[in-house]
Amino acid sequence: MESEIWTEKFRPSRFSDVVGQEEIIKRVEALTNSLNIPHFLFAGPAGTGKSTLALIIVKELFKENWKENYLELNASDERGIQIVREKVKNFARTKSLGSVPFKVIFLDEADALTPEAQQALRRTMENYSATCRFILSVNYSSKVIDPIQSRCVLFRFKILEKKDIERVIKKIAETENLTIDQNSIEALYEGSEGDCRRCINLIQSTASISPDINSELISTILSSSKPKDIKIILDYALSGDFQKSREKLLDVMLKESISGEDIIKAIQKEIWNLPVEPELKVKLTEKTGETEFRIVEGSDPFIQLQSLIASFVLAGIGK
Amino acid sequence: MQWTEKHRPKSLHEIKDQDEAILKIKNFIGTFYLGKLTKTPRKALVLHGPPGIGKTTLAHVIAKEENLEIFELNASDLRNKLKLKEILRPAIEQKSLIRKGKIILVDEVDGISAVDRGGLMELLSLITLTNYPIIITANNIWAPKLSGLRKKSELVRLKEINYNSIKDVMINVLRKENNFINNNFLTKIAINAKGDLRSAINDLQTASITKDPSSNLVDERNKETDIFNALKLVFKGKPTNETLSIYDSVKMPIDEIILWVEENIPAEYQRRELKRAYDLLSKVDIFRKRIYRQQYWRFLVYENILLSYGVSSSKKDVKPGFTSYKKPTRILKIWMNNQKTFKKKSIAKKYARKVHVGEKRIMSEFPIIRNILKNPEVRRELRLSDEEINYLDKPI
Repeated sequence: MESEIWTEKFRPSRFSDVVGQEEIIKRVEALTNSLNIPHFLFAGPAGTGKSTLALIIVKELFKENWKENYLELNASDERGIQIVREKVKNFARTKSLGSVPFKVIFLDEADALTPEAQQALRRTMENYSATCRFILSVNYSSKVIDPIQSRCVLFRFKILEKKDIERVIKKIAETENLTIDQNSIEALYEGSEGDCRRCINLIQSTASISPDINSELISTILSSSKPKDIKIILDYALSGDFQKSREKLLDVMLKESISGEDIIKAIQKEIWNLPVEPELKVKLTEKTGETEFRIVEGSDPFIQLQSLIASFVLAGIGK
Repeated sequence: MQWTEKHRPKSLHEIKDQDEAILKIKNFIGTFYLGKLTKTPRKALVLHGPPGIGKTTLAHVIAKEENLEIFELNASDLRNKLKLKEILRPAIEQKSLIRKGKIILVDEVDGISAVDRGGLMELLSLITLTNYPIIITANNIWAPKLSGLRKKSELVRLKEINYNSIKDVMINVLRKENNFINNNFLTKIAINAKGDLRSAINDLQTASITKDPSSNLVDERNKETDIFNALKLVFKGKPTNETLSIYDSVKMPIDEIILWVEENIPAEYQRRELKRAYDLLSKVDIFRKRIYRQQYWRFLVYENILLSYGVSSSKKDVKPGFTSYKKPTRILKIWMNNQKTFKKKSIAKKYARKVHVGEKRIMSEFPIIRNILKNPEVRRELRLSDEEINYLDKPI
């Protein structure tokens, strides 16, 4: 049955249907056709085709049996490396079906694993190398420990270009009978930030309101997806009210399930809309950068963000 | 009589939140008794999860429904090898007289000490030999000493009981006992229980006897006096060498003390002091992560110094007067929010699996996806439950 979720419905199922990443596709296709693939490390931003390519590989390799020979795990969802190992073990225990002598495991967001967990993963990869191939997907290859990198063939996925995204938009518009003018295409591209999945979600979300898509509609949908009330948090802080600012901060983080890293990104952007002197903007940005660094280094983003708010409070007083 | 015993569920429909586990257990027993033991079937199943969520109860109720006799062992029986042999061997080898099937229940396997490996080894060999399915309960199946057991058994994790379910059960018990306790206090008990239904029922019984809702929170209070005093000295007083050991008398893990300090800094400090204190707290948090990452425990010294002397020295002068410090509320807020976003999470999970993306990412993209989830065909495709659909149809 065809999916009614467009990111699925329009997910390419053959190498030739993929937009962008031409060089990668050429090489991966050749390897797949030889029926013998190495371990892959797919690095690149979200929505550039990493999962899609993994799915095409297994569909090409195993044809109609692909589901039995393919295990998909998400490192940031599974609780701990033990669970990952347990699942891999259970999956790898039985032999593959069909003519290909191995099965394929796709581990998404592998950079969510700590270095220790990656060591454990490395051993797991070795233990099952005879019967399994791994495809690891990460945003940054630098977050993957060297021993794993050295066991994989690394492909760097580039952010999709405007012409690629445009092709996808036009295809969807045609199939789904939508009218999308050039302005809307620009708006969709801007809103997608080069993330194809996000772009398709935007289209479907907008189309659920009207098949006549215009840029106004798109920006309404987009603003509903941005962390709200960041400005309120900063206004409270700059006016000296630390308590209210942090209360609002926790509220936003919890209600909208936003990570500390997304909050800090939004703060960094919001600084440029604040009615303060250029000098202060630079100072606040510097603080924000330091906090982003500490969020990565520390264990509790909320403590780090409180510390940032405290700096904003102080800066606001000197204003 | 203990209410936890008196009101222990006797049939499956009384058991809350564990449908998935029930199915797995029934399957396990079913395939065991089918006799189609061609390959290497699992002869033992481990029910694991935190205390008070119904591991033992579940085993008993299922045995009853499947009309199986239960043969129960607890940690003390397992403590020595000889005794275990003595008790378990006949049970395994003998066919039951009235030809009723049997389940062997080994309760709380965590209780076997790591030193006495004999008990564990014996249990493992019994798993190989048994003619009857063995069900084992454990709190922490990931303990290193249980690695052998893990390999030989099917693992089924039981979930913490949802806060609303705990409350429902408590209301039911009170009705049967012809007792009454005000709703606010019930809520408090349910939240305090953090998913442990047994402790909630115990608290409920205590409260019904004493009629004083606060009496069972005495322990909690003692702990609080310690931390209040420590905070007072840190925030109000001059830092001295005694400040360094100020948290020693507080019977709380350092992570919890961090939360208390975090909550109360703004009650005492303003402006530059506030900023300095939070900056130190931020560094405490970084040391904490480094300890965790590198298992280098000496960093704890720095955590402690910054959190006591450091925070204390963030002010210019001593702070006179009385300040009422607050209990940290963040963890409770997070927990209550999780209860609220429960439906959203289960929807995100179904959606995430369908579109090959992580749940966390879907959670953060929810505002965009919400519109897509209005489509009835998408709802059918994801097999959303009525409750999940209700959640989506509610105005935001």
